[in-house]
Amino acid sequence: MSLVVKDLHAAIDGTEILKGLSLEVPKGEVHAIMGPNGSGKSTLSKVLAGHDDYEVTGGSVTMDGADLLELEIDERSRAGLFLAFQYPAEVPGVTMANFIRAARQARMPEGEELEAVSYYKDLYAKMDQLGIDRKFTARAVNEGFSGGEKKRNEVLQMMMLDPVYGIMDETDSGLDIDALKVVADGVNSMRSPGRGFLVITHYQRLLDYIEPDHVHVLADGQIVRSGGKDLALELEARGYDFLKEEVVVAG
Amino acid sequence: MEATLERGNVLEQPPENLEGVPAWFNESRQAGWKRFLELAMPTRRDEEWRFARLKQLDFEGVHLPDPEPPAGHRGAAGLEKRAARFGFINDTLNESEVNLPEGVICLPLDQALAEHGELVAEHFMKSESTLGSAKFTALHQAHLSTGMFIYVPDNVQVADPIEVFHWLSGDHIITFPHTLVVTGRNAQVSVVDYFQSDSTARNAWAIAVNDLVAGPGSQLNYLVLQDLCDQARMIQVNTTTVARDATAKSFILNVGTAWARQESLSRMEGENAHSDMISVSIARDAQEYDQRTFQHHVSPRSYSDLLYKNTLYDESRTVFSGLIQVDEGAHFTDAYQTCRNLMMSETAEANSMPGLEINADQVKCSHGSTAAMIDDEEIFYLRARGIKSQIARQLVAQGFSVEAITRLRNEALEEIVLSFSAREFSRISERVVT
Amino acid sequence: MSSEAVLDTGTQEAIDIDRSKGDFSYPESHKFDAGVGLSPATVDYICDVKNDPDWVREFRHKALKTFESKPMPTHWATKDLENIDFDVIRYYLSDGTKPTRSWDEVPDDIKETFERLGIPQQERAFLAGVEAQYDSEAAYSNVKEELEKDGVIFVNSTEGLKEHEEIFRPWFGKVIPTGDNKFSALNSAVFSGGSFIYVPKGLKVRHPLQAYFRINSENFGQFERTLIICDEGSELTYMEGCTAPKFETTTLHSAVVELVAMKDAKLQYITVQNWSSNVFNLVTKRGIAHENAEVRWIDCNIGSRLTMKYPGVVMKGRKARGEVISIALANSGQHQDTGAKMIHAADETTSNVVSKSISVGEGRSTYRGQVHIPKHLKGCRNNTECDALLINSSSRTDTYPAITVRGNQHATQHEASVSQVSAEMLFYMQQRGLSEGAAMSLAVNGFVNDLVREFPMEYSVELKRLIELEMEGSVG
Repeated sequence: MSLVVKDLHAAIDGTEILKGLSLEVPKGEVHAIMGPNGSGKSTLSKVLAGHDDYEVTGGSVTMDGADLLELEIDERSRAGLFLAFQYPAEVPGVTMANFIRAARQARMPEGEELEAVSYYKDLYAKMDQLGIDRKFTARAVNEGFSGGEKKRNEVLQMMMLDPVYGIMDETDSGLDIDALKVVADGVNSMRSPGRGFLVITHYQRLLDYIEPDHVHVLADGQIVRSGGKDLALELEARGYDFLKEEVVVAG
Repeated sequence: MEATLERGNVLEQPPENLEGVPAWFNESRQAGWKRFLELAMPTRRDEEWRFARLKQLDFEGVHLPDPEPPAGHRGAAGLEKRAARFGFINDTLNESEVNLPEGVICLPLDQALAEHGELVAEHFMKSESTLGSAKFTALHQAHLSTGMFIYVPDNVQVADPIEVFHWLSGDHIITFPHTLVVTGRNAQVSVVDYFQSDSTARNAWAIAVNDLVAGPGSQLNYLVLQDLCDQARMIQVNTTTVARDATAKSFILNVGTAWARQESLSRMEGENAHSDMISVSIARDAQEYDQRTFQHHVSPRSYSDLLYKNTLYDESRTVFSGLIQVDEGAHFTDAYQTCRNLMMSETAEANSMPGLEINADQVKCSHGSTAAMIDDEEIFYLRARGIKSQIARQLVAQGFSVEAITRLRNEALEEIVLSFSAREFSRISERVVT
Repeated sequence: MSSEAVLDTGTQEAIDIDRSKGDFSYPESHKFDAGVGLSPATVDYICDVKNDPDWVREFRHKALKTFESKPMPTHWATKDLENIDFDVIRYYLSDGTKPTRSWDEVPDDIKETFERLGIPQQERAFLAGVEAQYDSEAAYSNVKEELEKDGVIFVNSTEGLKEHEEIFRPWFGKVIPTGDNKFSALNSAVFSGGSFIYVPKGLKVRHPLQAYFRINSENFGQFERTLIICDEGSELTYMEGCTAPKFETTTLHSAVVELVAMKDAKLQYITVQNWSSNVFNLVTKRGIAHENAEVRWIDCNIGSRLTMKYPGVVMKGRKARGEVISIALANSGQHQDTGAKMIHAADETTSNVVSKSISVGEGRSTYRGQVHIPKHLKGCRNNTECDALLINSSSRTDTYPAITVRGNQHATQHEASVSQVSAEMLFYMQQRGLSEGAAMSLAVNGFVNDLVREFPMEYSVELKRLIELEMEGSVG
C-alpha cells in the first residue's frame, strides 16, 4: 500500500510546472523531496491536495490503489491525505478549537455527533506535547500567529486528524532550532508502519531531525535523482548546481 | 363589541387620548400626529433615502392591533441569568419578572408615566430624528401607548442584562415598540430588545424608537436582536447621547424581516465620551437591510467606533450610509467607521456610503468600506482538512461576523447573539444543500 | 512667515514671479459680444457668429430648455450655487472664431498674456501641439506637422463639428448627455472653444497636446467643450491649464469634456487649474473605455471659489481600466468639491481612485465618489483611497462616497482618513532649522508627493510651487 505518483504533468495558467513526475511513498516510510526554488516542490503539494489553480494535464496519482485525482479537496483529506502548508491561510473569526472540531466532525458518519469532552482531552494532550499554549484554542485560525506558531499548529492538526499520508511542505522554513525540534518530534512520534510521509524541503537541516528513508531531488518538474539519506548530505555540500550539470551530461 | 370593529388605516387615524397618563403625554401624541401630517413621505430626491427601496414603505391596510392580543408567548428562551424580563405581544404587556437592585426603575412606559411622569418627561423623545425617518418617528410618537422605561440611578450597577421581548402577531398590524434607557452617574446596565413574530405577521410593521441616555461615567449596553418573520417590516430609530466619561455600546443583529430600516445616531456630548456602534446582518432571499448611522462629536476628546458587517446571500440587498461629523471645536476626536460586506451570491447587492465631515483640528478619523467574496485560499485550507465545501463556506461566513460580535466583550451577550446567528447560518447552509 | 531663509535665490525668484502669474488682465476689445444674460437670442447670436450647422443650432436650443427646466442640485450640493446669477453673466466674447497657427499673428495683448503664462516656451520645449483659448475662442492653435501627417486632428469645437462631422458627431454629447446635470446642459447650449482631437488607429503620440484656458473678462462665463477620441490601440496625453485674473465679481467656468478610448487605446487627461478665488468652476468630465482600453484623469485643483468636478470613467469593454488621481487644495473662501465616478459595465474591469485633499485656513474640501458594479458582471475591482489633511483648526473636510456592488465575483475597497501634520514632525523639522511655515509646506508636499509624481515633470515642478504659495501664511 502506497501513495503512487506516475508521470504527473501539471500546469498553472497554461505554464507546465510538473513535467512527468513519478514517485512512490509506501506506508511506513519517510521520503524527502529536495530541490531548488522554482523546481515545482510546492506545486507538487498543491496538486496532490487538489488546489483549483493547478490543472493536471497528464499522469496519475493513487492512494492505496484509489484514484486520488478523482476526489474533491476535502474528500482527499478525509481519505487520509494531509498537507501541512508552507503558508497556512488565516481564517478570521473561526477559533482553532472549532476548526479542528469541524474537521473531526466531517470524518464522522452522518448524524453522529463528536463527543466534546474526549475531543478536548485529546486536543489538550497534543497541544501539551507540542508546547502550544491552551489559550490558542480560542484564537482565530492562524490569525496573528508567528511563523513558528503556524507550523506547530499544522503539526497539531496533523496529529488530531491522524492521516495515512502526511505531506510536509517546507515545514522547516521560518523556524528557529527549538521550534524545528518540536515540529520534528511531532512528526517522528507519528511515524508508524501504517503511515507514510513526504517531506518537502529546500534545506538538509530538517532531515537531521526527521531522518528520511529515501531522498529524491526535484528539478524542473521531474525527479532527477533518488537515493538514500546520504544524497541530502551530498546536496548540502555541493549545492544544487552540480545536479544540473549531471542532468545536462545525462541528457 | 370593540375588538371586532373594523380598524382604519393607521396613516389616517388620529390618536385618541389615553387615560391614566399625564396630560403632556396626550399632548405629545397629538403633536406627533400633527407633525406626521405635516411631513412629506420620503422621495427619490431625499439624500437620506438614496439607494432605498421606497416601495417598501407600503402601509396599505395596515392598522393598529386589537387591544386584546392573542394569547401565548412564543419568543426566544433568552438569557439564563437576567435582572429582569418583560414581554409584549402587539404592544400589550404579557409577562414581567424583576430582580433588580434598589432604586432602579424598570417599568412598562404607561406605568412609568403614571408613577414617574416627570422623570420620563425629562428624557422622552428629546432628540430630533434627522436621518430620514422623521415622519415615521412622528407616527410612533402619535400612536405610542407603552414600551419600556429603564432608569438606573447614580452608582448603581445592574450586573445581569434586562431583557425585553416584542412579539408581533396578526397580519397588517402595526406596533410601536419604545425603549427609553437612562443611566445616572457611574451607573451600569445592559438591555436586550428582542423583535420576533409568528408567521401570521404578514405585512405587519414595527416602528420602534429607542433612546439611550448615558449619564456621566456610566456604562450602557444595548442590544437589538431582530428576528421578525420574512413578511414583516421594520423601521427603527435609535438615538444615543453619551455624557462625559460614559461608554455606550449598541449592537444590532438582523436575521429577519422583509425590510428593515435602521437609523442610529450617537452623540458624544462630553469629554472622554465613548460610543461603540456594532451591527451584524445576515441577509438572504430578497431581504433588505437599510442602515443609516451618524457619529456626532459635539465635545472635544471623545471617541466613537463603528463596525457594521453584512453577509449577503441570494437576492438580498443592503444599504449602509454612515456619517462621522466632528463639530467645530470638537478637537482631539477619534472616530472610526468600517462597513464590510461579504458577498455570498452573484445577485446580492451591497451599497455603501461612508461619510466624513470634519470641522475640527487634531482629529483622528478614518473610514473604510469593502465588498468581497470569500477568499478561495481560506476555503482550500478548510477543505484540505476534510471539511465539506458547504460547511467550509458556512464556517468562514460565520467567522466573518465573529469579529463584530466579540466587540461586545460580554460572554453572555456574545453567546446569545452567536446562538441567533449560528442558527441562521446553519439554516442557510442546509437550505443550499437540499 | 520666514520660509525665505531656506529657499535659494533662484527658487525664490521663481515663486515671486509665479505669485502674480495669473493675476493680470488686459482692457477688453471684443469684436463679438453676446451681451449680458441668457435667452434663446443669446444662443442664436452664438450660432450666427460661429456659423453653426442647423443640427448644432437645434442641439443648443434644446439644451437651453433642459438647462432652464433643471433645478440646482442643492439637495446634495452646497447652497453657494444659489449665488450664481445667470442673468449678469456674459456668455460669449471673442475676436473671431478662427485661431491663428502662428504666435506672430495673435493680437499683442493676447500674445503677451500667454507669454506671461509661459505657453509658447512650453510648446517649444516639450509639447506636440497647443491650443490657447482666450475667453470664448481659441486665439492660437497649432499641432506639429508630423502629427498632422499621421492623421491627428487637433482643432477647436466649432471646426471639429463643421469640418469633421463624420468623426466627432457620433460621440458628441454621447459620453455626457445634455441632461446629465444642469451645468452640462448649460454648456451644451452656449459652448464655445475647447479641443476636438482624433488620434488614428495604432498611433502613439509621444509628446503631450496641451490646451490653455484663459479668462480675461469680468462677469464672463467660459464654456469650452472638449471631445477626444483615441482610436484602436492609440495613445495620447492631453494637458490643460486654467487661470483667470482676480475680479470683484464672480466668473463662471463650466466645461464639458468627453473622452473616448477605443479598444486597446490609452488616454490620459491632465489638469492643473489655478483659478482665482472668484471663479465658480463647475465642470463635467467623463470618459468611455472600450475593451482593454485605459482612461486616466490626473487632476489638480487649486483656487476657485467653488469647484465641482467628478471625473468619471465608464468601463464599457472587457478588461477596461479607469483611474482618477486627484489633488485638491482649498484655502480660505474656497470649496473644492471633487471626486470620481467609476461605472463598471463589463467583466474584469478595474478602477482606481486616489484622492488627496488639503484644507487650509477656512478652506473646505469635499470628496464625492461613486463606484457602481452592476449585476451579471465578473471579476471587477475597485480601489479607492481618500486622504484629507487639515492644516488649521477652522479647516474643513468631508467625504461622501457611494459604492454599489452586485454579486460575489468582485472586490471593492474604500479607505479614507483625515489627519493633521503632526506636532512632532513639525518640531523635528524646526529643530533642524526650518521655519514653521517651511516645515508645514514641506510636510504638505510630502503628503501629496506620490501623486505629484504622476504629473509630467514640467507640471510637477509648477505644482509643488503652487502648493508652497498656497501654504504661505497658513501658520503663525
